Amino acid sequence: MPQLTIDITNSHLGFDFAINQSLNLQGILGVFGHSGSGKTTLLNTIAGLNSTSAGQVLFNNSTWLDNTSNTFIQPEKRNVSLVFQDARLFPHLNVIDNLKFAVKRCQSSQLKFDDIIELTQISHLLTKSPEEISAGEKQRVALARAILAEPQLLLLDEPLSALDQTSKIALIHLLKTVHQQLALPMIYVSHNLDEIQQLANQLLVLNQGKVTHLGDVHQIIHQLNHTGKIQQQTSLSLAVCVQDDSHGLTKLQLGDQYIYLLSERVKQQTTQLRCYIFANEISLTTTEANNSSIVNQLKAQIIDITTNQHQVLVQLACHGQNFFASISSYSLEKLALAPKQWVFMQFKASAVRT
Amino acid sequence: MIDYSSDWQALATTVKMAGITTLLLLLLGTPLAWYLAKMQSRMKVLLEAVVALPLVLPPTVLGFYLLIAFAPNSLLGQWWQQVFGYQLAFSFSAIVIGSLLYSLPFVVQPLQKAFEQLPNNYLEAAAVLGAGPIDRFFHVVLPITKASFITAASLGFAHTVGEFGVVLMIGGNIPQETRVLSIALFDHVEAFNYQQAHMLALGLIIASTILLSLVYLINHPRRNQSRQSSGVN
Repeated sequence: MPQLTIDITNSHLGFDFAINQSLNLQGILGVFGHSGSGKTTLLNTIAGLNSTSAGQVLFNNSTWLDNTSNTFIQPEKRNVSLVFQDARLFPHLNVIDNLKFAVKRCQSSQLKFDDIIELTQISHLLTKSPEEISAGEKQRVALARAILAEPQLLLLDEPLSALDQTSKIALIHLLKTVHQQLALPMIYVSHNLDEIQQLANQLLVLNQGKVTHLGDVHQIIHQLNHTGKIQQQTSLSLAVCVQDDSHGLTKLQLGDQYIYLLSERVKQQTTQLRCYIFANEISLTTTEANNSSIVNQLKAQIIDITTNQHQVLVQLACHGQNFFASISSYSLEKLALAPKQWVFMQFKASAVRT
Repeated sequence: MIDYSSDWQALATTVKMAGITTLLLLLLGTPLAWYLAKMQSRMKVLLEAVVALPLVLPPTVLGFYLLIAFAPNSLLGQWWQQVFGYQLAFSFSAIVIGSLLYSLPFVVQPLQKAFEQLPNNYLEAAAVLGAGPIDRFFHVVLPITKASFITAASLGFAHTVGEFGVVLMIGGNIPQETRVLSIALFDHVEAFNYQQAHMLALGLIIASTILLSLVYLINHPRRNQSRQSSGVN
């Protein structure tokens, strides 16, 4: 398993940046934080583009940075690719020459050029110049170029932030496919939790240059619900039971219960789906409603109630899966909710987002 | 019948001097411009001022000091005599060295400006794709700043062709060695050979106009492109 060990500080940022963490890069590691939390500094330090960070960076058996022995491996020697927010295609080269720039400097040649072109769906762009293609296309080319360098680690620095929603969704699917097919360790940095929720297996949260959380992506998102730093939500990864029925709904399995969502939000044929539901879109009833237009009704047990002024966050368990519902203190009192009590969670199919 | 052979020789000497000077200036001026562009020390201002000196000083000031430096009894003059076996003052090498200093800002300044404006982004992107510093220079910096190199080379060449004072002081007026066009023109005027003077003067004006027009043409490829594409639409 690829292992990245980081023990770095940086005093040039205006805040105290200090990270000491050992990371298993199995799957995709998401790095979440608001702007100015040190995300880009972290990535640039790993890539070797930041010369002001001090300490130690080890990847598997190689030392990339070690101030005690004055070791600094230049970025071109680290075999790490970085996809930037602003694609950074070379303006003097057309698309194919941008790709060949990477191929020519690549040590191994395991990947076939044509396969990557097909995977990233850019064959129609090859002869165009970077200024002739859209932002989404640029990022696909930048991704293809980064992959063609055949890195041992792929870093992605907010690669979707300049894209419209449609391009974003397409690129998220592409990144998933790339990861599945090439088994490439990736670190994905974003200030947008939705992207990370869709992609990452592990989530690392940075705040003011410090790691505040690290662990399974769903668990960490649930922990963040209590910090006030994100919109409170339930993060799920469930098996697809029926894909797109005659009502335009897709059915997910949770124990012996089902969750329905709009099929238009499920872009690809898939067996496993990641989705999230905002806490303010789940309501609770103590009795089962049989005549409701609300599609999803799941029986769950309350495990925790956190009150913050007039807002109450209720944590529930349903077949081993945690759910979060945000209700008013008025409803809490009216329904007389208490831990261990069994209730019904209700939410619309449209509340289930991907 | 007027004999133009000495003028042709002067032309050949001028082209040779300007050509060699331009080549050397590109070789020496590029690293200097890069260093200046990336320099963050306070000494930068001083170094920039020194590079720009030839723009403001009368060429005779430069020529005067070079004449002293190149004299056979000076340290440089003696060293040159020992290593190359001939006297530096009043030689072709002397006017090339003089031209190097005289035309330095015309090459260094456009390059420095281009390097300063070149976004570090592209260099970072190239580095993470495995390109080392030399590779990055030749395959990213050079192609992106190509227009500035053409400007720098053309201005360096044209300015060297137009040189007079420095060459006069350190080159003397030796046919086939240091007698360049500007000096040949001066000779013709002094001797009241106005017809030959006209030939040289007008020739220089026309040649310089063509050269500078070419530079401006090459430096505006975008303008040309957008004109073409709007024509299609």
